[in-house]
Amino acid sequence: MEAKDQKKHRKKNSGPKAEKKKKRHLQDLQLGDEEDARKRNPKAFAVQSAVRMARSFHRTQDLKTKKHHIPVVDRTPLEPPPIVVVVMGPPKVGKSTLIQCLIRNFTRQKLTEIRGPVTIVSGKKRRLTIIECGCDINMMIDLAKVADLVLMLIDASFGFEMETFEFLNICQVHGFPKIMGVLTHLDSFKHNKQLKKTKKRLKHRFWTEVYPGAKLFYLSGMVHGEYQNQEIHNLGRFITVMKFRPLTWQTSHPYILADRMEDLTNPEDIRTNIKCDRKVSLYGYLRGTHLKNKSQIHMPGIGDFTVSDVSFLPDPCALPEQQKKRCLNEKEKLVYAPLSGVGGVLYDKDAVYVDLGGSHGFQALDEVGSTHELVQSLISTHSTIDAKMASSRVMLFSDSKALGSEDIDNQGLLMPKEEKQMDLKTGRMRRKAVFGDEDGSGDSDDEEGDEMSEDDGLENGSSDEEAVEEENAEVTDECMTAKGVKRRKLEELEEDSEADLPAFADSDDDLERSSAEEGEAEEADESSEEEDCSAGEKGISGSKAVREGSKAELSPANHQRDRVNLEKSLLMKKAALTTSDSGHCTAEEVFASEDESEESSSLSAEEEDSENQEALRKKLLKPSQVGSGQKLGSRNLIDETSDIEDLLKEEEDYKEERNDPTETSGALKWKEDLSRKAAEAFLRQQQAAPNLRKLIYGTVTEDNEEEDDTQEELGGLFRVTQPDRGCKHKADSLDCSRFPVEAPHDWDLEEVMNSIRDCFVTGKWEDDKDAAKVLAEDEELYGDFEDLETGDVHKGKSGPITQNEDVEKEVKEEIDPNEEESAKKKHLDKKRKLKEMFDAEYDEGESTYFDDLKGEMQKQAQLNHAEFEDQDDEARVQYEGFRPGMYVRVEIENVPCEFVQNFDPHYPIILGGLGNSEGNVGYVQMRLKKHRWYKKILKSRDPIIFSVGWRRFQTIPLYYIEDHNGRQRLLKYTPQHMHCGATFWGPITPQGTGFLAIQSVSGIMPDFRIAATGVVLDLDKSIKIVKKLKLTGFPYKIFKNTSFIKGMFNSALEVAKFEGAMIRTVSGIRGQIKKALRAPEGAFRASFEDKLLMSDIVFMRTWYPVSIPAFYNPVTSLLKPVGEKDTWSGMRTTGQLRLAHGIRLKANKDSLYKPILRQKKHFNSLHIPKALQKALPFKNKPKTQAKAGKVPKDRRRPAVVREPHERKILALLDALSTVHSQKMKKAKEQQHLHNKEHFRARQKEEEEKLKRQKDLRKKLFRIQGQKERRNQKSSLKGAEGQLQ
Amino acid sequence: MATQAHSLSYAGCNFLRQRLVLSTLSGRPVKIRKIRARDDNPGLRDFEASFIRLLDKITNGSRIEINQTGTTLYYQPGLLYGGSVEHDCSVLRGIGYYLESLLCLAPFMKHPLKIVLRGVTNDQVDPSVDVLKATALPLLKQFGIDGESFELKIVRRGMPPGGGGEVVFSCPVRKVLKPIQLTDPGKIKRIRGMAYSVRVSPQMANRIVDSARSILNKFIPDIYIYTDHMKGVNSGKSPGFGLSLVAETTSGTFLSAELASNPQGQGAAVLPEDLGRNCARLLLEEIYRGGCVDSTNQSLALLLMTLGQQDVSKVLLGPLSPYTIEFLRHLKSFFQIMFKIETKPCGEELKGGDKVLMTCVGIGFTNLSKTLK
Repeated sequence: MEAKDQKKHRKKNSGPKAEKKKKRHLQDLQLGDEEDARKRNPKAFAVQSAVRMARSFHRTQDLKTKKHHIPVVDRTPLEPPPIVVVVMGPPKVGKSTLIQCLIRNFTRQKLTEIRGPVTIVSGKKRRLTIIECGCDINMMIDLAKVADLVLMLIDASFGFEMETFEFLNICQVHGFPKIMGVLTHLDSFKHNKQLKKTKKRLKHRFWTEVYPGAKLFYLSGMVHGEYQNQEIHNLGRFITVMKFRPLTWQTSHPYILADRMEDLTNPEDIRTNIKCDRKVSLYGYLRGTHLKNKSQIHMPGIGDFTVSDVSFLPDPCALPEQQKKRCLNEKEKLVYAPLSGVGGVLYDKDAVYVDLGGSHGFQALDEVGSTHELVQSLISTHSTIDAKMASSRVMLFSDSKALGSEDIDNQGLLMPKEEKQMDLKTGRMRRKAVFGDEDGSGDSDDEEGDEMSEDDGLENGSSDEEAVEEENAEVTDECMTAKGVKRRKLEELEEDSEADLPAFADSDDDLERSSAEEGEAEEADESSEEEDCSAGEKGISGSKAVREGSKAELSPANHQRDRVNLEKSLLMKKAALTTSDSGHCTAEEVFASEDESEESSSLSAEEEDSENQEALRKKLLKPSQVGSGQKLGSRNLIDETSDIEDLLKEEEDYKEERNDPTETSGALKWKEDLSRKAAEAFLRQQQAAPNLRKLIYGTVTEDNEEEDDTQEELGGLFRVTQPDRGCKHKADSLDCSRFPVEAPHDWDLEEVMNSIRDCFVTGKWEDDKDAAKVLAEDEELYGDFEDLETGDVHKGKSGPITQNEDVEKEVKEEIDPNEEESAKKKHLDKKRKLKEMFDAEYDEGESTYFDDLKGEMQKQAQLNHAEFEDQDDEARVQYEGFRPGMYVRVEIENVPCEFVQNFDPHYPIILGGLGNSEGNVGYVQMRLKKHRWYKKILKSRDPIIFSVGWRRFQTIPLYYIEDHNGRQRLLKYTPQHMHCGATFWGPITPQGTGFLAIQSVSGIMPDFRIAATGVVLDLDKSIKIVKKLKLTGFPYKIFKNTSFIKGMFNSALEVAKFEGAMIRTVSGIRGQIKKALRAPEGAFRASFEDKLLMSDIVFMRTWYPVSIPAFYNPVTSLLKPVGEKDTWSGMRTTGQLRLAHGIRLKANKDSLYKPILRQKKHFNSLHIPKALQKALPFKNKPKTQAKAGKVPKDRRRPAVVREPHERKILALLDALSTVHSQKMKKAKEQQHLHNKEHFRARQKEEEEKLKRQKDLRKKLFRIQGQKERRNQKSSLKGAEGQLQ
Repeated sequence: MATQAHSLSYAGCNFLRQRLVLSTLSGRPVKIRKIRARDDNPGLRDFEASFIRLLDKITNGSRIEINQTGTTLYYQPGLLYGGSVEHDCSVLRGIGYYLESLLCLAPFMKHPLKIVLRGVTNDQVDPSVDVLKATALPLLKQFGIDGESFELKIVRRGMPPGGGGEVVFSCPVRKVLKPIQLTDPGKIKRIRGMAYSVRVSPQMANRIVDSARSILNKFIPDIYIYTDHMKGVNSGKSPGFGLSLVAETTSGTFLSAELASNPQGQGAAVLPEDLGRNCARLLLEEIYRGGCVDSTNQSLALLLMTLGQQDVSKVLLGPLSPYTIEFLRHLKSFFQIMFKIETKPCGEELKGGDKVLMTCVGIGFTNLSKTLK
């Protein structure tokens, strides 16, 4: 049985398998396949037509190029901000559950209630900010703008809901973030088949909306109210490895998705006026591009603001430090959600909040451990730099004498700290050196300030209690720096005597001088700068510079005093130092003092100070000399420490250190010059940079004028005028961009001429560009070769440079590591160059324009990364602005109080940065299309809500369509299935930005809410939309082709305006306005192409410019009370108003439609002129005889009048013919009857005949049958007989 | 309501052009008070009024309010419109005064700008049209502003005090600018110049050329100074002569110097030989200052760097002129942009004075006026 049931195997006749078999079979037969056909029959595949070939080539190239995207510079930061994952879906679909599961999946923590964004570390290089999006359209719009990834939850048991499609459309308009669908409620399906079908259906629908092949995730069912672990884990994996495409809007604007909000308003202000504008600080990761301080932002749902302050904070949810391991450990799995009360420690600019939440206590501790330094740093910023400066100053001044022995002791202890500094900031020691180099005094404040700030930023060891100790430590620092300085100074002094001043000295003066013109006020600043400049650039924060500048301007006297103090204090320190330095100290001090005195002579204000200084110095020198003997031991200590320092220095310092032995030994004198030069070059660099920077940005403030305003008035009438300072006359001086030469060189002098020799091609070239040198080098590189034929060995001679190097190597063997390093570097460089050359050669054949462009972009990206890489964040922020990825705190003032009072953490707060002039308003022109799913059409001048850029606002658009001649014609309504233009008055947004329009953001509407979508085309300050206007008039006098027309205009002036304009009658006769007439006002003469009738109506078509109501009303949905945030309603349309007030529209009677009654029209007959008729061919000639109504008399026959005889004959004939016809009639009838009878008889006969035949046939068949039967019988009998 | 970007306030008429230009580009209104308030002749001068009128011509929707005495000016910028414009400049200042600002604005118009400026082409105060043509145009080309229609043509020369010159400037429109890396000034390969004379003997120009060459020949042999003697209507209304020199380097940097004779009736007569020699010396001074951009165009280069994409731009300059320094401050207040300023000492090489390396990240400026098709 079983064997029978099995189906027989059937060979496949089609399909891939069969084809494969067939192919194999053919191959076996050596017939080959198509590939071989080409070989077999090359002629068939030869080029038939060059044109077609070219075309096909062109096409393939086209297809290839179409795949290219325009390369853009990769501006993604090295440490990118967390990825914004928006979990979106209709209510009750499982959004919160999913978020909770995801968080648990990544962090092993369970959040009970989720409010606002949650930031988690999901991998070694990725963080996520997960935020839930409900189906309030405001929220949907806002989040679509910031989302990187959208998890779109779909209830499979229900299917797609409108919200899903709306959100998809919103996403599409505002740049398409990655979208991943997640099907939930799959466990509600009973039958597997139904489940499968549903999945497939939903998938395909999803694909049509997103893109074919878009990922759709299935969450099969719940276990204990949570999704299955494995599925969530998979989803997490997908999210973690996902790649993102840059979105135009997001990459060109900075934005912050705030995850924390603090109200900073003075409580007293709130107490007095609860409705007062608030000052809030918002926190969040900066995304997009760089954010500049004081820039404009827009907060969707609230309004436009100017950032009053931005500061960056340590990352609360930092990525783990780079380690070579596969996964994160528990400590690194951070979660940060301050709005939900998770995150442990919250850092602020001036406060630290520690959340002691029960379940997360351990978490908080962890963070403190890992980011200990940062916390400390923030604690230390409790007191501002100013305060610290002040305190440090006082300290120094008061116990200057007690510095001696203590600091040395401290130094030993604190040394490691110092080292750390050096590690972090290599150039630090240099700056100190400089500070001593110039006149020394006055630097101390900067120096200290620097140290303070750096300490704040890096060391973090300082707390408020430890302030004293810290001061001590700093003092020791000071000592050391001064010591380094001293050495250098000594060298310089020596060298100065030998060598003349370098050439750059005067050029530097140039710089100074040019700035010196700028006025007395600046002079004062400059003097301070000159001193400051040496203090180095790195540590000086911009704010400090500004403060200093302002101080200098506002109270120069004060500043001066300060400086004196500082100088004094510094001198004391110096004195303390000199105690250890036995030999040179006095000489050096003398020199230093001389320097200072020179300086002071130049600056008259400082004269007294310098005297003071000198006096002080002398006083202080004495004890130092006395003490020198005692503190030799301590000096050794210093030396040691300084040696350690030196080891950590950079090259210059290295060289300098090297000089120390030379100083003592007196050997190798030739090297001194080198080091000196290097040092000098370096110093100058150090000086000039901050000098210029300060000169430009730091010192000059623009609020000079403010002083004038505050001048007191005398009796409210007069003002006390004060003689203006330099700045005033500067303000009104000549506005000219030329840079006149202040001190021209004497270009006849040989050395002056030589100073620019190398600027010309005739001068000396750099080594790498000098043709001769390059040739020589090439020889050196490729010179070694052996001629195989002759056996000669050619040797490239080692160039003089290498020889030199060798010599140098011999000389300074002890400093070899450095040399080695440089050699290695050189080698590497050479290798790289060779590789580049090879690459260039190799790529030459294929390098296309596209490749070049890509290479260029890559180069730029590299430069962007490298340029500010080595600078600390404080400085970087100044140049670049706050870069994306930073956790920033943004202070905003004048925020409406409702924002704070009605704060709902569930709603996202977005700070969207605005570009230049994006905060302004103007006319915005767009291309708009009504959404095909929206049921109604849109009406011009109906208020509608747009979402453009960051903004959501209500405005009144006008719709228009562009005619072929570029005229923009107003439309009353949007076309049904076509694009049209739209213009509104509102915020200026860059061209190419997508937008969408909705009629209302309040409540839930049953239908699709997105009314229209489109793109911004143009921005302007005026519009050119016109509407048609027809002016009508009536002729009152008609000449031949000229008519006088009235009723169109009211005055001759109006006519004059329209002279020459085209007019037309309703019947289509065209004409032109000629000139106004005097008689009825507004009448004119017009000429037409034909004669008018009095009944004609004449009209003129004109275009009338329309104006747009300047209505721009931002949707302030976030200011609504909690729970009512989706009820914002703005201006209502007239239709809504009418409905609300029950006003019926009064229809114009003329506009009503009535049944059309048409009168029968009578046309006159066609009249063809005779002449024309004559000319016509016969065919077309009117056929007149056809009618032939009347016969002319001559043609007419005369009437016949009979004689009586004739009449009798006629009567008789008539009678006879009547009789005859009667007879004939009778005969006909009889014939007819006869015929009938005959027919009947024949039929009878026929029937009988048929009957007879039938009978006969019957008989015949019967006989036949009988005969057959008989035959059969007989045959049977016969057979039987045979059988028998 | 969209809060209008709060306006910036300044005092004094100095740097008026910078302020108005930056205001136009940044869209921030600007208020300038106390314009020559203490002067015997207070308020805006003719040439400034003319400049404001010019701004009004090339923009759409600007609001300009000037008080009665002319000491206070409020300027709310509109959008740059461009198109074909004609403007009669004041003869108190050269056309260069107007042209410098136009060079800043022209690439960001709605329609390509084609403007005819009439006035003084060469004077002693402002950079002359010749110099701008020779230096500023190649500079703009570095930023990707290029094309057939990018040209500056001198139709007529006009010297102060009469004026009567005419130039045509046309510039294409760009949406974005390219970042630049101009750190290598290269070496000067040739010197070109233009010795012009109007309403004086044509021999003057030749005399200038000879004297200038006598100095420059010591440095480089490739010198060619064109003489340009304009006659008839093309010669303007006043006599005068002058010389402008441009040094071109191997890397496409142009350094310039110029000198013009004293206007008729003002100051002593200048010998053409002296003028030539002095101008040559000025060029040497300029070479001494060096940099990749000559001193008059520093601010233009910095502005276009600022208005670039959000990429790093670098330029090596000579010592910063006071005008540039103020310009940097204005850039900071209008665009919140700060330059990284590094001084490059001249070192051992004989390449003139100190250089300054200016680095900045562009603000990502896009031309908001240009229509999208």
